[in-house]
Amino acid sequence: MIRFTWLQFRVQAGVALAALAAFAAVLMVTGPHLASLYAGSAITGCRGGSCANAANTFLSRLTTTSPYPTVYELGIALVLIAPAITGIFWGAPLIAREFEAGTHRLAWTQSITRTQWLAVKLALTCLAAMAVTETLSLMLAWWADPISKAIGIGGPYPPGSVFGQVRLGSFIFATSGITPLGYAAFGFALGTATGTFIRRAVPAMAVTLAIFAAVQVAIPLWVRPHLIPPNRTVVSGPSFFQAASMSVGTLTATTVPGQTEALIVSSGAINASGQPVSTIPVACLSDSPVKANAPPDLGTCMASRGIREAITYQPASRYWPFQWLETGIFLALALALAGTCFWRLGRRRN
Amino acid sequence: MIEFQLDAGSGVATYLQLVQQVHQALQLGLLEPGDQLPTAQQVVAKLAINPNTVLKAYRDLEREGLVRPRPGQGTFITRSLPRTDPAAQTRFLGSMTDWLRSARAAGLGPDEIEAIYRTAFRGCFAEGVA
Amino acid sequence: MSFVIEASGLSKQYGRRWALRDCALAIPEGKVVGLVGPNGAGKTTLLHLAVGLLAPTSGSIRVLGASPADGPAQLGRVGFVAQDTPVYTRLSVGRHLRMGAWLNPNWDKETAEGRIEQLGLDPRQRAGTLSGGQRAQLALTLAIAKRPECLVLDEPVASLDPVARRDFLSSLMEIVAAQGISVVLSSHLVADLERVCDYLVVLVASKVQVAGEVSELLSSHHRLSGARRDAGSLPANQEVIEESHTDRQSTFLVRTSDPVHDPAWTVRPVTLDDLVIAYMSRPADPERTHRPQLKVTS
Repeated sequence: MIRFTWLQFRVQAGVALAALAAFAAVLMVTGPHLASLYAGSAITGCRGGSCANAANTFLSRLTTTSPYPTVYELGIALVLIAPAITGIFWGAPLIAREFEAGTHRLAWTQSITRTQWLAVKLALTCLAAMAVTETLSLMLAWWADPISKAIGIGGPYPPGSVFGQVRLGSFIFATSGITPLGYAAFGFALGTATGTFIRRAVPAMAVTLAIFAAVQVAIPLWVRPHLIPPNRTVVSGPSFFQAASMSVGTLTATTVPGQTEALIVSSGAINASGQPVSTIPVACLSDSPVKANAPPDLGTCMASRGIREAITYQPASRYWPFQWLETGIFLALALALAGTCFWRLGRRRN
Repeated sequence: MIEFQLDAGSGVATYLQLVQQVHQALQLGLLEPGDQLPTAQQVVAKLAINPNTVLKAYRDLEREGLVRPRPGQGTFITRSLPRTDPAAQTRFLGSMTDWLRSARAAGLGPDEIEAIYRTAFRGCFAEGVA
Repeated sequence: MSFVIEASGLSKQYGRRWALRDCALAIPEGKVVGLVGPNGAGKTTLLHLAVGLLAPTSGSIRVLGASPADGPAQLGRVGFVAQDTPVYTRLSVGRHLRMGAWLNPNWDKETAEGRIEQLGLDPRQRAGTLSGGQRAQLALTLAIAKRPECLVLDEPVASLDPVARRDFLSSLMEIVAAQGISVVLSSHLVADLERVCDYLVVLVASKVQVAGEVSELLSSHHRLSGARRDAGSLPANQEVIEESHTDRQSTFLVRTSDPVHDPAWTVRPVTLDDLVIAYMSRPADPERTHRPQLKVTS
């Protein structure tokens, strides 16, 4: 059955290998030059406080150095959608195509039980899907090593750019570490299970895409930040209320002081009695009508009025606990979906 | 070796058609003692019929003492049938024609004559079998 | 006696529709069984139950004395050629044979390759480009090379042209002659099966109407014709399968194990075709639905 699975799978496997090779080629061509840029930057040989600045400068230059932002974005996108692609093109047709062509009647009347048949097909194809996604992720990690190092030194920078994301942020988190394994297994099992219900390849592919996309949006928005209760801190003092660490308009924090790679779950200004403050007091505005009494700058003005910033966040040290948790959850979902496939086919009601 | 043919529209059971064709071949001298009949597999491949039908025909022939199966070799003719005498054929054709003419002269139509012939034929050969 | 298919109370329900209902069968081994019935009568359901593709809703079915699809060994004992003879269109003929070898421990490589060669098929040709007849022959090759004790074929010749049909049945009968295996094959046309089967099952509207040896069926059914009379006046041992009346004449197709002596009748033998058509046009449940008049062309 292993050989027969391979016989049926070899075309898809070939396409995947070609895609991996193409991606590898792009990374091989641009990777060494990126590493030499890093080696030639001011980060090399920096000392103490200047290192963070050097790292920020390196990253900020990189945002305008073609093709690095594009390749990085492309790589992240590829690792993100790889589980969806294997789920749609390998998982969904795996059983649906057999039903559609009627070949299940041929396959399941050979001297092999359909449980065996399904076990081998699921296991091999799923492992292949996981291997493809994780390989993409590892290749990207190798290529982006200078970027990760710079972020490790000076924090994500510049804000809003592709290099300005923390490791726990939705895109980086989902494309690094071991989570790609979980997503690949889940996407594949989802596609296969959908195929056993819908029994037609193209509709099953569409439904797989819809469900997978919904899950990939829902998890970072509503589930991941709450898997471990976030830490809470209250920051006070004039230095915080500066443009660099918060967005002034909404009074929300962009970084956690002292924790450059923390993921901010929520943040907001509060007054002395702990009540939320949604706008800057009129007296602190630079064009305040009571300008005469106004303090020299916004930070001092806010601090003098007892306004502080409350932040809930996930510290960067939780990267691996989160990785294990999320991968575990997706592998468990994948197992449950695989179980559904066995149950569907085992009932023999086609 | 002979080749069997089937007449699908005759209404005669398939195995009987095979038996009759062996009889005819013997009567015409196409088959002689020692000759081999086609194997069941050969007949089946040619005619797309159930092999049991062939075996049944061969069993009937064996019961008549005309053939004998040799294990591992096939089925062989053991006895010939007396050839039909051409003179006798001519004689009976003459008397049959006379009979038909007299029936027609008596005012019987072709359908009626055929019905009478069939009844007589069936009665005659049913007696023989029973 | 051992049976190739033994079923009792066998039923299969899809939602509220019964595909097969209360089916009882005991088909002896070593036969070529024709399963005849109109489209949608439940033939495919019955065959899928026999090869284990389906599980019954209620009742039981045993094939060669064991429960269908009861592990790899039982799957290996039954060869199956599904309707429209599905094959993997993108795999070549040779790869299909390799699939058979990989998935069947008793695979007979010589028979398989010999048959492909005899049929003049190119092992490198994609199965999707084969003609209907060639595809059916490939499916048959796959089914017999696993050395089954019983071969089940679902409408194997329905979509074939007359030449391919004849070739396919010849191949099948050759296999029967050489290996003596039991065969169950279905068709909606009795003419396809008349020459090849020696056991007949007529399935109409999800129920078995009649089943038995062809020779017994033919000798126990007669067509009676004579002056008009009512079906109720026939002796109790004559079961009326079909009747038709004009103002003067009555014609009955009856089943009886005893000879018909009544001199008032003209007794004619029936052909297999007559017999199957009579059973097919019989109301599904004679007790409840009474169909007073049936047209018979003679």
